[in-house]
Amino acid sequence: MRVLRVVGQIVAIVVVFLLLRWLFGNLVDNSRRVGLSLDFGFLNRPTQFQIPNHAEFDPRSPVYRMVLVGIKNTLLASVFGIALAGVLGLIIGISRLSQNWLTSRLASAYVEFFRNIPPLVIIVFFAFAVFLHGPLPNLREGIEVGFPGTSHNLFIFSLEQWGVPSVADAGNLAYFAIAMLVGLVVAALVWRWRTRIHDQTGAPHHRVVWTFGVLVALLAVAYVLLGEPFRITWPTLSENRRRLIDGFAINAGFISVAGALGLYTASHVAEIVRGSILAVSRGQSEAANALALTSFQTYRFVILPQALRIALPPLINQSLNLVKNTSLAAAVAYAEITNLTQASIGNGRPAVPSIVILMAVYLFFSLIISLILNVVNRRLQLVAR
Amino acid sequence: MTAVAAPPRSTNTALGWVKTRLFPNATSGIVTVLLFPLIVYLAYRVFLFVVVNGRWEVVRRNLTLFMQGTFPRDQQWRILVQILFLAFAAGVGTATASAAAADRAREAGIPVDRQRPIEILRRFWPVVLLVLILLYFANTVNPWLFVLGALAVSLLGTTARFLPTRLRHLGWLLVALSIIAGFQVVSGTTGRSWLAAAVVVSIGIWLSVRLERLAPLPRLAFKTALVALAAAVVFGIYTFVTVPGVGWDRWSGLHLTLWVSALAIILSFPLGLLLALARRSTLPALRVLATGYIELIRGVPLITLLFMGQFILGFMLPAGATLSSISRAIAAMTLFTAAYVAEIVRGGLQALPYGQTEAAQAVGLSPGKTMRLIILPQALRAVIPAMVGQFISIFKDSSLLFILAINEFLGVRSLVHAQTDFRGIAHAETLVFVALVYWAFAYSMSRESQRLERRLRVGL
Repeated sequence: MRVLRVVGQIVAIVVVFLLLRWLFGNLVDNSRRVGLSLDFGFLNRPTQFQIPNHAEFDPRSPVYRMVLVGIKNTLLASVFGIALAGVLGLIIGISRLSQNWLTSRLASAYVEFFRNIPPLVIIVFFAFAVFLHGPLPNLREGIEVGFPGTSHNLFIFSLEQWGVPSVADAGNLAYFAIAMLVGLVVAALVWRWRTRIHDQTGAPHHRVVWTFGVLVALLAVAYVLLGEPFRITWPTLSENRRRLIDGFAINAGFISVAGALGLYTASHVAEIVRGSILAVSRGQSEAANALALTSFQTYRFVILPQALRIALPPLINQSLNLVKNTSLAAAVAYAEITNLTQASIGNGRPAVPSIVILMAVYLFFSLIISLILNVVNRRLQLVAR
Repeated sequence: MTAVAAPPRSTNTALGWVKTRLFPNATSGIVTVLLFPLIVYLAYRVFLFVVVNGRWEVVRRNLTLFMQGTFPRDQQWRILVQILFLAFAAGVGTATASAAAADRAREAGIPVDRQRPIEILRRFWPVVLLVLILLYFANTVNPWLFVLGALAVSLLGTTARFLPTRLRHLGWLLVALSIIAGFQVVSGTTGRSWLAAAVVVSIGIWLSVRLERLAPLPRLAFKTALVALAAAVVFGIYTFVTVPGVGWDRWSGLHLTLWVSALAIILSFPLGLLLALARRSTLPALRVLATGYIELIRGVPLITLLFMGQFILGFMLPAGATLSSISRAIAAMTLFTAAYVAEIVRGGLQALPYGQTEAAQAVGLSPGKTMRLIILPQALRAVIPAMVGQFISIFKDSSLLFILAINEFLGVRSLVHAQTDFRGIAHAETLVFVALVYWAFAYSMSRESQRLERRLRVGL
């Protein structure tokens, strides 16, 4: 029996090895025959195409720069998508449990609708029905929404880009950013200090007031000391109304991807939130009721902290799904890594190494998120006393 | 003398409902007052879009394109016959399932709940609604007649209920055979006989296991020979009678979407089962290989595998061999789904108490028999709802073929909007239509899987 087990394993390994060798042997032979390269040397050669909406990107810069731009955009869409999905999902998940019939029905309808259509359809809907062929005018006739009482624009809406206010460097923005980091660290320390005082003496902690007070005070001092390190820029159309100057330009592709994935994932997040609130034992809310906590207090101090423990692992999984789903941007004009890889293969870069890099990038993201998940799981484990 | 409190007033009136469900307290009342106009406004906008402003002409004129894509028009009868076969399979399937449930209930001594036909309507209302909408868009009376015909065929199928309990499994066989027949009617036997042969062989094995219960067959060798003979006969017939058909390389539209997702889940099941068993195996080499594969696949998005299928898979075949773009996509989706199926099956295996294995060992079953007769039947039964969930997910993911310029259901839109009449307009209408169709299928299936979960009293 022992021998059989060893032989069985060896046979399995040999079979898999032979299969892989056959596949890769064919791959190498065929590539040589057709004259395709399999090495990664192309990473240092020029990209040779312009990334849409990235005027600062030079087509002569090497391919690895393009990969980095793609990774940055993937992360950007993921972060905004996750934020949107989290906020929206939390609201909808809680609404689904509301006593109010209208609220719970509306939330149910949202969840059942968005959960059961492909995310790609939502992305394409945004990209084609809202932007490209949608009701918005193009940038030339962009809708300018003024800031009340001034001549500045608050928003500019058009089918290519949306403009929002932003900050511009007025000399010392870098220093101000450092001051902001320091301020955040100090604020975190203040938070811990107030918590300790509360734990030790029972005095009211007023953590939120204290922390934000210190942060705002520090930032105000830094602002004055650095002598107006930044100024706010308002979105403005250039003279010929061809492009946005000042402010921050958000591309339609970004809104399509981040917005659509946010809406889609929010339906899953809502289900997780609802499930984990229902999983908190009913006795907890009854006990809170007996202590005469208001319904807000019950949620804030009793239910949500316990529900969070249940919800966090599946929520992290959902964010991984969202990161993977940003790859659907290949269908629309948003320059994230999958889209750029497809474009660069179309421009004659070797397919095999390009796709290997693409998969490696996603595997790396998955690995990072799995690590976070493991850490969270370990910290969330109930400590038995 | 204490005052006697009046009995609480019933809230079971329209006004009471409004009071308890819409204005239970001040906050909730404010929310109602704020939400109500919003909902009315949304409903008004939806009404305007559906009834007044929507340019539904684009769907009406391209309905055939959406449903069957660029399928050759003179071969359309194949799809119609296929739908009849599938309707028959659906009828036989529901009848067999409800009869089997009734058998089990009778065995357990609990009352049998007879499903009235109207129940089906209530359960599948999204699909019924969808069929009505499609019929509304139809230009002639023929589709109406056809739907009535399909209903009649599926009613004919429900006569499978009268099969005696001992032959219940023949009902499932009938379902499988008519699905295969439906597939073959469209694709013909040219070039796809290997697939049909593989399916027939697996059905043969399954049937021989089942036949054992009816009349115990003496020897394994004899059974194997029987199955091999049956497979050889069928394969011979298939290769001899080469009915030319329309292979899946030329399918598109909703027809392609449904088959691609069905094929991906069917083909990935054996692979996923093997991977799950390997991952649970006590042999470290198998475990490492299976775990590596599963985690690798689950770590990357489907689109990267589809790219691999499109750009690399062709190069991995021996020189001269070619696969069509749809075949490569199906291969990529199968490899992808297998990893998820493996995890689902593993969940089912892990949820089974270890006592089952021990009991099987105690009565002296070999490890193979323990797995085949004790563990797998229970584990697979427990994962049915999760498998339906995976099917929904692959059904939604099949829209990714659009990125590869394959004209599946979402992709046909590009054909529609290439027409001069609809260039650059009515994108919202076609997308809403597409979303509605996806929704009707996915929503009905997800409700069914929840129902199954309750009925089978499983859930992981």
